[in-house]
Amino acid sequence: MAAGLRAVKRWGLVAAPPSLAFTRSAFVVRKANNAQPNWLGVGLAFGTSAALWAFLIKQHNEDVMEYERRKATAHKCKQCS
Amino acid sequence: MVFLPDESRSLPPPPLLNKGSVWLGFAGWMSALMDNAFNQRPIFGAGIHRQVLLATLGCVVGYHLVKRAEYMHAKVDRELFEYIRRHPGDFQPSTG
Repeated sequence: MAAGLRAVKRWGLVAAPPSLAFTRSAFVVRKANNAQPNWLGVGLAFGTSAALWAFLIKQHNEDVMEYERRKATAHKCKQCS
Repeated sequence: MVFLPDESRSLPPPPLLNKGSVWLGFAGWMSALMDNAFNQRPIFGAGIHRQVLLATLGCVVGYHLVKRAEYMHAKVDRELFEYIRRHPGDFQPSTG
């Protein structure tokens, strides 16, 4: 019977407790409940992502404007284009 | 040691989605998917906020790394061309 139970577990037909192979930390002690979202964490993550994208796009536009400004300033003295 | 010196702003900035930012964004997304896999969650469907955040972080870091790389390459090129300009005798086409 034990061998049969082992085989059934291996086939995934009987639930086994989650293995600790990759998550050996203190946080595993608390059983994670993935059914109830951590809405604060979700909100913070999306908010941070939006802020990071805004920062990145603003930084890129500033870089482009600064480059164009310096190019125009450099050309002003040579009076070309 | 400044990450991006002021003179780096005289260089044309790389496009927003360049090889560095796309690759590191993809790597961030992959690490979120791997975190799902190791914690036995649905790989693509779980933790969308985590996937978005890590991909965004990858894009930001990749963009700034590419800017620094382009600055370092331009600096080396400038020094190289300046050296060639100052030592023309060493760079004549061989006649013999």
